[in-house]
Amino acid sequence: MKRDLMDIICCPLDKHDLDLDVESEEDDEVVAGTLTCTDCGETYPIEDGIPNLLPPDMREETPA
Amino acid sequence: MGVLEDKGRARLFYRYLSTVYDRINPFIWNEEMRTEALEMLALDADDRVLDVGCGTGFGTEGLLQHTEHVYGLDQSEGQLEKAWAKFGKTDRVDFTFGDAERLPFADDSFDAVWSSGSIEYWPNPVAALREFRRVVKPGGKVLVVGPNYPRSTVFQKLADAIMLFYDEAEADRMFRDAGFEAIEHRTMGPSYKPDVAITTLARVPDDG
Repeated sequence: MKRDLMDIICCPLDKHDLDLDVESEEDDEVVAGTLTCTDCGETYPIEDGIPNLLPPDMREETPA
Repeated sequence: MGVLEDKGRARLFYRYLSTVYDRINPFIWNEEMRTEALEMLALDADDRVLDVGCGTGFGTEGLLQHTEHVYGLDQSEGQLEKAWAKFGKTDRVDFTFGDAERLPFADDSFDAVWSSGSIEYWPNPVAALREFRRVVKPGGKVLVVGPNYPRSTVFQKLADAIMLFYDEAEADRMFRDAGFEAIEHRTMGPSYKPDVAITTLARVPDDG
């Protein structure tokens, strides 16, 4: 994920801004991290460079 | 309510469909139709465009012929993997997982929204269209390509059971309810099936 995507993405639930927490980065792009809604606190993962901004009820269940 | 209007089922269906999608897709939605739809949208080279339900990236590929500022959103990883194979994950297009009815983008983020072959899977199309209006700047355009309501009764029954199909009157109603203006429709298709798809272009009012 390019950092300038932060300019336009928001929480899909309440449309508030997101805070970016970077876990790993490569060539100026975020590979892994977490996006947290500044209002409701819901978190959204960035995995393999793609932000997963699906609302929580639509996320794939992680196999146990 | 069609069986694919449940999002969980739609996701599962797409996981399997994505393996053959680009092979079957050209029969109902081909390059000529895409070109015609792109002409209707008339993008400028510096327009920022969101492709909702970009899937394997067939529409995305067309948008890239007009502007470099293309963003892709889809709910299915199986579909997006095909798109990544074509464009990379962030090289030419910025991809995001997301829901058409609850878009993860701020108000007025885009000059246009494009969506081809996705509306038939949205449980509440008007809710999604309202979201399109929210993320597009005032005066910006939205173009949606979906399946035209079939003429034969057998196919109508199948259509009603599986997914949403609509005609021009219904498309008009959905876009009006979502607050659009200057709504126009065109049916499209290959020569042997000239009205298999319906393309709607609409404008976001100047006051948003």
